Amino acid sequence: MTRVRRPSAQTMAVLQALAERPDEWRYGYDLCTELGIQAGSMYPILMRLADRGLLETGWETERVPGRPARHLYRLTGAGRAYASAAAAAAPATSPAPTTVPAPATVPRRSRLQGT
Amino acid sequence: MVITFAVLAVIGLAWLLRPTGDGDTPARIAAVTANRLPAHRQDWGRAMAAELTQVSGRARRWQFAAGLLRVMLFPPPRHPARVLAAALGGLLAAVGATAAAAAEVPSLAVFAAILGLLLGGYATVAASRSHRLRPTVPRVAVGAVALAGVAAAVAAVVRIAVAYPAATTDRTHVFSVLFALALTGCLALAFGPVRHAGPADTAGPADTVLWWALAGALASGAGWAAVAVTTPVTADGTTSLLWPAGAAATLAVSAGAAATTRSRLSGVQAGLLTAVLGALTRFALDLTAILQVHHYALRSAYDIAGYAHSGYPSVASYVLSDEVAGDILGGLVLYPIALLVVAFLGAAAGAGLRQLAVRRTSA
Repeated sequence: MTRVRRPSAQTMAVLQALAERPDEWRYGYDLCTELGIQAGSMYPILMRLADRGLLETGWETERVPGRPARHLYRLTGAGRAYASAAAAAAPATSPAPTTVPAPATVPRRSRLQGT
Repeated sequence: MVITFAVLAVIGLAWLLRPTGDGDTPARIAAVTANRLPAHRQDWGRAMAAELTQVSGRARRWQFAAGLLRVMLFPPPRHPARVLAAALGGLLAAVGATAAAAAEVPSLAVFAAILGLLLGGYATVAASRSHRLRPTVPRVAVGAVALAGVAAAVAAVVRIAVAYPAATTDRTHVFSVLFALALTGCLALAFGPVRHAGPADTAGPADTVLWWALAGALASGAGWAAVAVTTPVTADGTTSLLWPAGAAATLAVSAGAAATTRSRLSGVQAGLLTAVLGALTRFALDLTAILQVHHYALRSAYDIAGYAHSGYPSVASYVLSDEVAGDILGGLVLYPIALLVVAFLGAAAGAGLRQLAVRRTSA
């Protein structure tokens, strides 16, 4: 069984929010308002997730006049697996994502083992 | 140096809050934040700045900008283990330096502890920001000059502490803190990245800034050393009359750097580096020269009256204590502040001269 180092409550919330709609690209500020997490906490969480290969990032390709392109985020396959494993490892009192699909394969498995 | 940073912070804040047509203050903070993140986080800086366009409401925009500032100051480290190692190494070095100072020069134990902690903290911050600056010749040379200057400054004070322990006894610890902060600030400036706001087509602007600073610091340092060697030593020090030389070097360097890089910011940085490196040289030279005095005397009625109630065991320790404190406050704090103003003036003059030359050429 893969041992998952338990992330912080805020990181768990971000993972769950992203895992609820795994195929959908999300904006940073939308995640902030949805989860009630300040930008000063949200972006370091997103950076760490991206550093670990759990988060995919990209820029808007469609240009919207009057504003710069926005950064987009969604979980990678490894991120989805990590989110479901972390939710399963969480205590019963913590809310768990309800619609997390179990990935068939877990890329970058060694990164997920926390060893 | 502490006040220098405070002055720089106030100037930076005033610049941020100035009314311009580039959006509100949170937008300017976001733009600055995006540029000040470590190189590997620059993309994230642009992402955060772009996201601010979606935030409406004054309070929310300020809150978002404050969050970005927090990320700029404490970006998540890419290699947490490296940061932990730097923090532990710094802590161990601080403990070792404090123990050594307590055993050999007890009057400098507090200074050693604070300097060790500050340098350890700086190393930790540098590791967390993944500063991996390309080791060019001028960068290595500036770093070496700064290290030599800090070592010379510490050695001069240690020599006084060994010869006259009472002269470096700091009951309030104010000067120990100031001295440690000043030395750490010098090293942070010398080893920190060089910001450049000039055109992108200027070749090697960071190296140009460093070359100018190095030339200015070495020229003023050599001049001071020559005067210190050739001037009869008195208890008043030998380099007190050399402030104009330091100001001239700073002015020339900031003007030259601004003109060659076509950037006022680069000129100020070169001038400030010259002032800081020169301040270390001047400090070490002055205290070393004063230590050569064979007979210390009280020269004013104020000193005569003060010495009687000071509790110092000898006139020498009283005079040297006064000199050390004066050189820390005047030489390492006030001197760089005064020269920072000179650097701003020099950079403005250099940039103006450059524009004038360009206009004449094109006319």
